[in-house]
Amino acid sequence: MAIEANGKTFETDEEGYLTNLGEWEPAVAEVMAAEDDLELTSEHWEIINFLREYYEEYQIAPAVRVLTKAVGKKLGKEKGNSKYLYALFPYGPGKQACRFAGLPKPTGCI
Amino acid sequence: MSETFDLGVEAMKAQLDAKVASYFSSCVHCGLCAEACLFYTETGDPHFTPIYKLEPMKKLWRREKTFWGKLGASLGMGEELTEQDFADWETLVYDSCTLCGRCSMVCPVGNDITYMIRKQREAFSVAGYAPEGMKEASRRALKFGSPMGVTFKTLQATLSHVEKDTGLTIPVDQQGADYMTLFSSMEIVNFPEYIESIARIFKSAGVSWTISSKAYEATNSGIQIGNKEIAAELVGRVVEAAEDLGVKYVVSPECGHAYTAIRWEGPNLIGRAFNFEVVHILELLEQLQSEGRLKLKSTEQTPMTLHDPCQIVRRGGVVDQPRVLLNSVADNFKEMPDHGVMNWCCGGGGGVSANERAEELRLEVFTRKKRQLDQTGVDTMVTACANCRIILEEGIEHYEMDTEVISLTELLAEHLQE
Repeated sequence: MAIEANGKTFETDEEGYLTNLGEWEPAVAEVMAAEDDLELTSEHWEIINFLREYYEEYQIAPAVRVLTKAVGKKLGKEKGNSKYLYALFPYGPGKQACRFAGLPKPTGCI
Repeated sequence: MSETFDLGVEAMKAQLDAKVASYFSSCVHCGLCAEACLFYTETGDPHFTPIYKLEPMKKLWRREKTFWGKLGASLGMGEELTEQDFADWETLVYDSCTLCGRCSMVCPVGNDITYMIRKQREAFSVAGYAPEGMKEASRRALKFGSPMGVTFKTLQATLSHVEKDTGLTIPVDQQGADYMTLFSSMEIVNFPEYIESIARIFKSAGVSWTISSKAYEATNSGIQIGNKEIAAELVGRVVEAAEDLGVKYVVSPECGHAYTAIRWEGPNLIGRAFNFEVVHILELLEQLQSEGRLKLKSTEQTPMTLHDPCQIVRRGGVVDQPRVLLNSVADNFKEMPDHGVMNWCCGGGGGVSANERAEELRLEVFTRKKRQLDQTGVDTMVTACANCRIILEEGIEHYEMDTEVISLTELLAEHLQE
């Protein structure tokens, strides 16, 4: 599978996550969001940018609980809950936001 | 019929050991195991009766190991195990069983039903009938050493935050330390407070400890999915690192199945005894306290209850230690009904939490834990497993309950006499 953004082709896996994480650019998130009928606002970008920074440091895509906790710590308690994040990313803040941010699919414990 | 199906049948035959055979022939069909199973009691669906989840294995046992079964098979009669059985039973085996072990506790003839389900999972996994999330977790465990894909870089990032917050140095690869500490991935990424608490408690109690950069992961997805090669490989990594560092003890963290995996199954998986001892963190903390090295002050007035992680109490045997520890910092500790070895599972053990399609059912059966909490009437629940903690928090949020979940080790660290 692949998506077109900014005149370029980006390869994705069968669930729509970027195959090559290094290729990501903001246009990728815009196109993926449009495909999910979402328009990205500054609130969305706040989370997407947060995810990219988190990945840069920890080399792992955070699961929903990790994300809500970390967002709460960084962006304030009123944003650090799953209700707020689900409102922004209806298909699941972990899965959908990580996909937009060019991260791999988040994983849970066993 | 596919090739993997044939391999699955062969794998199932290999699982029919003396224990499994005697368990099947001892079963008196009483159905008591149903009442012990969270998935049956909360849904009333008889398919969730634990022994029924073993029908595919039972079919093969009858044909391979019983007189009438063998006679029938030689005459071309009797039921054969089919690929459809794998397809039909996959969700029963993986989604509606958390390997919690409650059914094994109540079986009047002493059948270890949980052990049998673990065995049956071996065959399902070989035949290719295992949930995607668990297969991926096993792949990541082999590749990165962690089911969640945590690498040493992730751990280092977490450790540097912990060092900054505590002002302590976390020892890594310290040759000749007494204790080598393991963590679960969930603790590394979601509960760094646990690592912080360990560092502070060990410092205060004067424990010589280290983390190994080669083996820090405690969880074992091989055990969960039912694949003894993966399980043995993961245990082997810990053993090698511990023996290289020359430690006397390996500390299993606040994780349920990690302790069972390394303490009780580990030596059998690698085929020899370890050159070190394995202790669960709660055992170690209780020991430190009884030796007077862990000094605590009792100040907590808030009523608290304890959620026993299944693998720690039932299969691990760590029952009294958390109670001694909790009583020393909480003045109002109240037990839940069915506490201790008969406690009810959070619903996310046995790999269920990594199994996306099981989520709805998992939340449905959380009603049991909710009832236990309602009956106890306490809003603070202490536990000792990061996976339980996540699952409990999800259930609490789903049912809009007002319960706080905290870790016992963290609670103790908050009550250290500095």
